[in-house]
Amino acid sequence: MILDLHATPEEVMRAVEALQELGATWQLAPTDLFGLALALEECGSNIVKHALHGDARESFRVSIELADNSVTIELRDHGPAFDPTLAPVVPFQADDDQAPGGWGIQLVRRHIDEIHHTRQGGENILRLTKHLHRNSLA
Amino acid sequence: MPLDIRIQNPDAAVRAGTATINLTGSLDTATAPDLERQLAPLLATAVKDIVFDLAQLKFISSAGLRVFSLVRKQLKERGGQASFIHLQPQIQDVFEIIQALPGMAIFKDEAEFDRYLALQQQARQA
Repeated sequence: MILDLHATPEEVMRAVEALQELGATWQLAPTDLFGLALALEECGSNIVKHALHGDARESFRVSIELADNSVTIELRDHGPAFDPTLAPVVPFQADDDQAPGGWGIQLVRRHIDEIHHTRQGGENILRLTKHLHRNSLA
Repeated sequence: MPLDIRIQNPDAAVRAGTATINLTGSLDTATAPDLERQLAPLLATAVKDIVFDLAQLKFISSAGLRVFSLVRKQLKERGGQASFIHLQPQIQDVFEIIQALPGMAIFKDEAEFDRYLALQQQARQA
């Protein structure tokens, strides 16, 4: 599945819902599907907010593939070069008065087994691959 | 998936200083701003404690956690707290991943929350 999305939070959730419907069709385990949906939401939101500055006239592409025992989500955007895999992890401090950041990539790292970023032809290409649990694709 | 936000007995909550809010659906990048907007009038009152009942919350992302973090901070400044009950396993997992649990008041159900309140009351009276 390939989706071309405008740079808005609503479009990010349109992609997430499409993934959830696809995942149900593929009979993915709920935990796998939740992790994939969360990773897509976090990465898509980052693109909208930081790469494309919430400009609804800008667009980005999401592709979702099922292969053997894994699902791969690819996100492509024309924003400035940015590799989210290099972002530092900011630990949550319960008493920290500063607004926390870096939670998104932490959640992605927890749920995704392989994260690859490349830069080609002025595009950021982020590939997220999750190995599925044994009872997926039953 | 939309987010349904229901403040239980809002007028009574403001008078009592404690509000319970049921969240149903998805708290994500699209719906988190709406939660923040709907909480603003409540936070402008003297409410000190807010209990978020997450029994029907199916999805949460860092956008939602940020709203909770901001609410928690505001309530803490006035001597109160944000509490969370009935977390679904995948929602609890999200809290745990970012290590948000230490310092966050999370309860399995109302009975556990009521026991906590009773202990708080005893401590204040001691």
